[in-house]
Amino acid sequence: MQPKNESDSKKEVLQLVTFRLGTEEYSLDILSVQEIIRHMHLTKVPRTPDFVEGVINLRGRVIPVLDLRKRFGLPSEDRTNETRIIVVEVEGKTVGLKVDAVSEVLRLPAASVEPPPSIISGVESEYIKGVGKLDGRLIILLDVGKILTRSEKDALGNVIVATA
Amino acid sequence: MTFSSNEMDEIVGDFIVESSESLESLDQKFIGLEKNPRDSVLLNDIFRSVHTIKGAAGFLGFQQMVDVTHVAEDVLNKLRKNEMTMTPGIMDSLLRAIDLIKTLLKNIKERNNRQEDTAPAIAALKAILSGASVSAPVEGGYPPVAEGQGRPIVEASEVEVFVEQEMSRARITTGAEIPIASSSAPADGSSMHRRSTDVMPLGSKTDEAQPKEKEQSIRVDIERLDSVLNLAGELVLSRNRMMRLGGKLGEWNAEAELTAQFDEAIAQLDLVTTDLQLAVMKMRMQPIAKVFNKFPRMVRDLARQNNKEVDLILRGEETELDKTVIEEIGDPLVHLIRNAVDHGIETPDERAAKGKPRAGVISLSAYQEGRHIIVSVSDDGKGIDPEYVKTSAVEKGIVSKEEAEKMSHKEALNLIFIPGFTTAKQVSSISGRGVGMDVVKTNITRINGTIVVDSEVGKGMKIVFRLPLTLAIIQALTVEAGGGVYGIPLSTVVENLRLAEDDIKSIEGREVVYIRGNVYPVVRLSNLVSGRSLKTSQAAEWKYVVVTGIGEKNVGILVDKLHGQEEIVLKSMGEYLKGTEGIAGACITGDGTVILILDVAGLIESVSRRQQKNLTDKAGFI
Repeated sequence: MQPKNESDSKKEVLQLVTFRLGTEEYSLDILSVQEIIRHMHLTKVPRTPDFVEGVINLRGRVIPVLDLRKRFGLPSEDRTNETRIIVVEVEGKTVGLKVDAVSEVLRLPAASVEPPPSIISGVESEYIKGVGKLDGRLIILLDVGKILTRSEKDALGNVIVATA
Repeated sequence: MTFSSNEMDEIVGDFIVESSESLESLDQKFIGLEKNPRDSVLLNDIFRSVHTIKGAAGFLGFQQMVDVTHVAEDVLNKLRKNEMTMTPGIMDSLLRAIDLIKTLLKNIKERNNRQEDTAPAIAALKAILSGASVSAPVEGGYPPVAEGQGRPIVEASEVEVFVEQEMSRARITTGAEIPIASSSAPADGSSMHRRSTDVMPLGSKTDEAQPKEKEQSIRVDIERLDSVLNLAGELVLSRNRMMRLGGKLGEWNAEAELTAQFDEAIAQLDLVTTDLQLAVMKMRMQPIAKVFNKFPRMVRDLARQNNKEVDLILRGEETELDKTVIEEIGDPLVHLIRNAVDHGIETPDERAAKGKPRAGVISLSAYQEGRHIIVSVSDDGKGIDPEYVKTSAVEKGIVSKEEAEKMSHKEALNLIFIPGFTTAKQVSSISGRGVGMDVVKTNITRINGTIVVDSEVGKGMKIVFRLPLTLAIIQALTVEAGGGVYGIPLSTVVENLRLAEDDIKSIEGREVVYIRGNVYPVVRLSNLVSGRSLKTSQAAEWKYVVVTGIGEKNVGILVDKLHGQEEIVLKSMGEYLKGTEGIAGACITGDGTVILILDVAGLIESVSRRQQKNLTDKAGFI
């Protein structure tokens, strides 16, 4: 999410962590990723939106985990051996994102990233920074900051509904 | 001499911290000086502090501050050389100059480049230097003071009277005894002086007797302390895991020799981690004097403003509390003390007519009682009349007439904590607007404290806070409901009872239980957790109700099982989930899982909210 000059971004190489949700390949800026962990025991938190899976104990810190599938309105799927939690830190918030599988870390020239089309397989385009092309693969670049802030507003809305 | 901007920032930062501290202690010293104007040690001390600030400000180029400190220093210099005698008028001017310096310092801190109007304060001090009457400066428009309270604007003709009577008007003591006679209590001044340096461990110790004592403390960022606390907590969890493994060694037929040695190692680890945790907790403890110290000055100013005579007695300033608790109790105490001076203590004439000493006494004390710290504010003023509170509450529509009649003395007094309530007939500049006591209550409740009010009409009133020693570690009752385990802060638990499903009655659609003649609203934890309201199918099964209460409000929490009592480290669930209704936070148990801690205050609030909505509900069991 760092601001870049147009001229700089042509030469720049993005480092991305890519992961899978269903059949699509998504990616996050490597700088926002703190670590990737295996799925662990979750504690449900009542009165939170359904995409909040619960909280986990990350070496003594209690952090919330969001199910990205539910977040994006994709059908939920059972946990597998491949399921991972990507711990991201954005604007002082540490949050885990549950994904189907983490694939790799790759470098992508900024020039090969195109602005997002209006709709990509159900994911609202406002969460998408762009779509990268690499050897015929399409990789969706997510904007973590937006995922967190938007969902917070949604969560707030839910609480109001619950108390009304 | 040139510095890089980083170095400069650092120097300015140090200057701000050090100056703030010495300004804070200056207030104390001035109050001490007012009681004992000839205390040359104290005068020298004050002079040196001001001089230090002036020097540093000059070096850093804060010209306005230099101007003010310079003239203040001149006045102090004359005073300490006995070329002038301290009068309340001079004291006022000096205190205003100190306030102005505080404002200037704040501007520097906020880098707002604001210029203050220093002329009136400087002119007032210059007038003193030239020997002019001290009455003139009082009328001038002074810049807003640090506390942001209104200043008394006294007519010039009144000032003469003030000056003569001042010494007996606001006498403030920090010792245990109250000087009955007027201002001439020389012994107390020195004891106060000693105390004011004692309680400022990081401040400048410039006592005559020990001029060059080295500081034995360092400043540490609170975040670093917290991370050490966190790590210590982690270590405790690892130890718990080790202990469990140790227990299993026997089952796995390990050699007896190995098991014994392992056990010994664990026992050692156990000791060390417990000590470590305690030591880290202690690092966060600070003396309550940090809060108490600002009150002598505040009481002096308020008393002058209200034409009252007030003695403030401080006890137990050395009592230590966790930093977070210290930060939270400042505002509530300010409020209570303002109330006490403004509404509690009568004017000297009224007091004399009632046969009380002319000067009122407000006492502020703190002491430790087991795992709690008790802080109390009491005064010997007119107290609160429960009948008056009731009428007032009925007038404002807070309670119905019938309800008011049924209320006990204590219940009536607790009405003062309801938002919007005030007994003041007139709104003054400092209190009576009906905001406050509810804020006091909220602040105290937030840090797991409780409040008790007691008052006798004509004799005074007493408000007692019962505060936890620390917020980091709390005792919790663990319960099970809807398949999950939850913690309830033990400080809020009144009792646990086992009951059958049919013990739960329904009054106008709301579930309640009768316990020894009391009616408590009931919340089913499993419903709360799932967000749905399911009536349990297994109607005959035994249930447990945990009666929780904050202040006078109670609510029964229905759970499936009681697990036990555990000492837990309360952790926030992070920015993202902050403010989740009904949940105060989370903690990590011995086996590494996370359990959620219920927010009882929030729960009770939501129950009474629902009750208020349900206007047909006449049971009125809040």
